[in-house]
Amino acid sequence: MKVSFFETARYRAPRGLPPEWPVPSGAYDPDAGAEAYRSMIERLEYVEELGFDWVSVSEHHYSPRILTPAPIVSAAFIAARLRKIRIALLGPIVPQSNPVRVAEELAMLDTLAQGRLVVGLLRGTTNEYLTYDLNPAEARERTDEGMELILRAWTEPQPFGWQGRHFQYRTVSIWPRPLQQPHPPTYALGVSRESCEFAARNHIGCGVSYAPFEVVGKATRYYREQCARQGWQPTPDQIVYRANMALAETDAEAEALLRSQPNQPPFAMREGVRDAFMRLDARNIAGEARPPIRSGALPTTFIGGPDTIVEQVRRCREEVGAGVLDLSLVPPGWGDAQLLMRSLELFGKKVLPRIRDI
Amino acid sequence: MSDAAFREGYVEADGFRIRYLEGGQGVPLVHLHGAGGPRLTPAHDLLARHFRVVAFEMPGFGLSPENSRTQSMPELASTMTQAVSKLGVDAFNLMGTSFGGKTALWLALQATERVLALVLEAPAAIRQEGAEPPSGSPEEMARRLYAHPERLATIHVPEPLTRAKTQPLVQRLRGPHRDADLESRLEELATPTLVLFGTLDAVIAPAMGRVYKELMPNCHLVFVYDAGHAISTDRPEAFSEVVVDFLERHEAFVISRTATVINP
Repeated sequence: MKVSFFETARYRAPRGLPPEWPVPSGAYDPDAGAEAYRSMIERLEYVEELGFDWVSVSEHHYSPRILTPAPIVSAAFIAARLRKIRIALLGPIVPQSNPVRVAEELAMLDTLAQGRLVVGLLRGTTNEYLTYDLNPAEARERTDEGMELILRAWTEPQPFGWQGRHFQYRTVSIWPRPLQQPHPPTYALGVSRESCEFAARNHIGCGVSYAPFEVVGKATRYYREQCARQGWQPTPDQIVYRANMALAETDAEAEALLRSQPNQPPFAMREGVRDAFMRLDARNIAGEARPPIRSGALPTTFIGGPDTIVEQVRRCREEVGAGVLDLSLVPPGWGDAQLLMRSLELFGKKVLPRIRDI
Repeated sequence: MSDAAFREGYVEADGFRIRYLEGGQGVPLVHLHGAGGPRLTPAHDLLARHFRVVAFEMPGFGLSPENSRTQSMPELASTMTQAVSKLGVDAFNLMGTSFGGKTALWLALQATERVLALVLEAPAAIRQEGAEPPSGSPEEMARRLYAHPERLATIHVPEPLTRAKTQPLVQRLRGPHRDADLESRLEELATPTLVLFGTLDAVIAPAMGRVYKELMPNCHLVFVYDAGHAISTDRPEAFSEVVVDFLERHEAFVISRTATVINP
């Protein structure tokens, strides 16, 4: 089992924050932001020392919860400061981006990082449709087209035009191309039927997140079935599972830690907007409809002391098929940096060595 | 400038004979003009494609006789509520421009259950320190009101005689730059509200927009790029598009419904 640390740039708000997303920019404290990024590097040096395989960053906007709206910038900054660890950009929100620009930036980053880049491409959470005015009815197809264009821009040696539905270019011919050939390890992130089918069709990995093993297991099973239909088998490394973990010295302490966490949905929007999205956005797990927006906190699927966690990781390997765990040891937007450092240490010393062979 | 489809009418309300211009069909959209008086802009035509637009001439403005009776903005708002009732209209959308933005806020406070949604175009209810209404020659007035007067086929500024007639009324009713009484009430006004400011507004500082947003529980702020104080004249299409979208969907107007398909 490989492990990835999900870095969210821990912003500690000096004052209480408005509960709604988007969070007003005026509530931002520049010093707290500077401290978040400074301590991020300190933490990641420790993460690297503990032997994590990847550090991952993601794209979220208009909120202090995950303070990396431009993940390419955070990834480049981290890549320049750390030597060995792989940088997983999970990932650019494709439907609201210029796919050619994304292909260029990722190729450049892979080359700057001497081939240490891992890429996840995705549609993004529903709230992010508001970030750059993405029409929910078009989000899925813009994602599929954009992802395909990115892969094409990385691999097509001749200048080409793209006569898409949503994107149109007469001339694409990117420099640099990625250092890793034909392109960095790439995942389609999401549990939807469309995402799994895209990954299988394009021979790339599949990334699932947060839901319990049996739920994400449906998606990874569907992905593997689709790969088989396409005549190939993904390796365990090609299935990544992002999850929350509540780890403590004992099971009881871990349960207490979990109980102390707030049950807030990650990006709570105004009721009228949320209700409209419930009608306008369509999501599914391997074809089975699910609501686009959660009402509570993201689930925590690994809970316990080291022994229990090791057992859960073994179960995850069996039920989800994941070969990479992308972990939050303390939920984003909550808890202090010290707590996170203690959890990291415990994980690095008492769990990580015991799950390598799983 | 105006579309021939707008027709003139009068209502008797609160002892005033009040003129209005009406065009379009659908849910009523009542418009209260700025201190310069009523004037149809291309935006009225665009809005009338979606709504029954009723642009009132408030007593004392435009062609109406001098109004020395109305003593306060709440009084004027009450008069205008009665005028709307006289049209047989119960629930309606309400749009106020500049000075009329303050009238519209008072009207919404007085008849909250009847106002479906509120649009405030460069509202003058909250003003920066030192704010002064446009004055001087027609050219000077035009430079204060419009971002690009040179681009307009016809420049509309109030006639000197009309201004002389309305000035005492405007002076009486406009109130202080920061009206504590009004502002304390806005915290209770949950009507879906859209506040628009042109980025080049030279009368009311666009930064005043954030105060409405901070005070009102269901308020949305939109800046119209490259427009002056008279947003609906400077950029009528941009103005009308967001106003229509807001009036149709209220807070869900933040969700884009723009199609980006280039070729199917």
